[in-house]
Amino acid sequence: MTPNIPLLSAEEWAALSLSFQVALCAASAGLPIAVLTAYWLARSRSPIKWMVDALVNLPLVMPPVVTGYLLLICFSPRSPVGGFLASWFGVKIVFAWTGAVLAAAVVSFPLMVRAIRLAFQQTDPRLESAARSLGAGPLTAFLTIALPLAKRGLIAGWLLAFARSLGEFGATIMVAGNISGQTRTMPLAVFSLANRAEGMDQAWRLVLLSILLACLALGVSELLERRHAVHQR
Amino acid sequence: MSLLEFECQHLYPDGFSLDLRLNLEAHFAALFGPSGSGKSSILSMIAGLTSPKEGRICVAGQTLLDTAAGRCLPPEARNVGVVFQDSLLFPHLTVESNLRYGERWRKHKRRALDFARVIDVLEIAALLDRYPEGLSGGEQQRVGLGRALLSGPELLLMDEPLASLDAPLKARVLAYLERVVSEWGIPTLFVTHAQAEVRRAADWVVLIENGRLLADGIPEEVLTRPEPLGWTDSAGPVNLLRVEEIEEQAGLAIARVGGHRIQLPAGPLSHRSPLFIQFSPAAVVLSRNDVKDLSSRNHLTGQVRQLIQISGDVFVAVDVGQILWAVVTPEAASDLELAIGLEVTCLLKVHSLSLID
Repeated sequence: MTPNIPLLSAEEWAALSLSFQVALCAASAGLPIAVLTAYWLARSRSPIKWMVDALVNLPLVMPPVVTGYLLLICFSPRSPVGGFLASWFGVKIVFAWTGAVLAAAVVSFPLMVRAIRLAFQQTDPRLESAARSLGAGPLTAFLTIALPLAKRGLIAGWLLAFARSLGEFGATIMVAGNISGQTRTMPLAVFSLANRAEGMDQAWRLVLLSILLACLALGVSELLERRHAVHQR
Repeated sequence: MSLLEFECQHLYPDGFSLDLRLNLEAHFAALFGPSGSGKSSILSMIAGLTSPKEGRICVAGQTLLDTAAGRCLPPEARNVGVVFQDSLLFPHLTVESNLRYGERWRKHKRRALDFARVIDVLEIAALLDRYPEGLSGGEQQRVGLGRALLSGPELLLMDEPLASLDAPLKARVLAYLERVVSEWGIPTLFVTHAQAEVRRAADWVVLIENGRLLADGIPEEVLTRPEPLGWTDSAGPVNLLRVEEIEEQAGLAIARVGGHRIQLPAGPLSHRSPLFIQFSPAAVVLSRNDVKDLSSRNHLTGQVRQLIQISGDVFVAVDVGQILWAVVTPEAASDLELAIGLEVTCLLKVHSLSLID
């Protein structure tokens, strides 16, 4: 059901709400994995750390379309993973909303890990040792000491992933396609409009909306930074 | 049953090697040695925060580590409490939550301590709702101590607990440590490089240098060995004379030490016990005969018990009822013909003395 908002057409509204849903799910789904990865990278002294680090950062430097291509191969219904998901859970990735979420999550993953890892690195690991010496097991020490102290990094990382997911195009269009109402997020909608003859003018509204959302995300992030800085003083 | 059996060998990446065998029965033992001698590493191994390549550690009959048998208890399973040099209080929790953390998470507490009594002895009741960052250094250390105690340990480890405190505070917090030991009698092992702390608090001293055990024994014996004197960063030796009696006479503060009357600097008199008079060996002037018409107010006579020459200094131990250390130049020592058994007079300026409790 599309509400009657005078400023947005039904199509535009669909793109906006889809973008929001996709970004929300992508950032939230990626969070637990990002937290664990970031913690391991921050604390571990394993010799293969550099390898994991490079792997995590890959989506950041690869063209998103390439990332999309790889995801397509991995999750197409003919692949083992895609086939497994389809037959056991009835989940469709390619040309589906879930595909948009997956694409956005993978592309924004390195940003989230980066922010959270920084937060863990700024926390004194000796505090966790102190917790262990008081009787807390490794999981308890992580949940009660490391995680709360890295809270701000988690929020910052989530916000960054959310903002990045809102703007994701290349990987999304490869994996999820550009199906109106189903996988046409805002960037894809702008692209579609701009490709039509009279579309450039119509695209303006979505463009402005996108800029507004990006500013909003930055603003919230800045606000949180400032509040923390005041608290520190 | 021995309190602590420690037998470990470990080679660190930077080349430092630790090879130590220790058997402790004492109640309040000090691990004394210069910086970098491996003392903190030993505590870390006992607590389970690091593991030696080879070794065996037993506390109160329970085997915490036995590399030969492949047994290694994680830190949370060892009943060992740690007080850290930087207190390491959890910044996101209030003082009360910090204190109760060990109480909450330790599974097998052998000794359950009463919360109210702990905060009473350490005098931290007024701090319960505050956060660690607003506390002074001394307050943080007391909370850290309380937190370790409330986790119900069999053995308390203290890693240079007074090192990050400034001088007047050290004596204060040390007094709290002594109170804790006398109240609950939890066996304690503390690491320090300051002689003053060792002299005052410990009933057993283990001397460590370069990852090796040098000697162990009662403080009076171990601290009169030549090695500690050569440790330039060990902030010692410091003279700490235990005050037997203190009184005020005609506006002056007089302390009785070993049969001598010592005049103290003017200032508020503390009547807490125990009291110590602290001064540096460099503040002591030695004389073969007692000299009159001098500004120094305190002249203590005694016999020379030891003469130790270390890199251009001669340390002289004089028995004035308690042992007092003076440091003189080798020329002075030979001019005065200082020898063991000789009667000398020690001249102390009132200004070089400080009274600490």
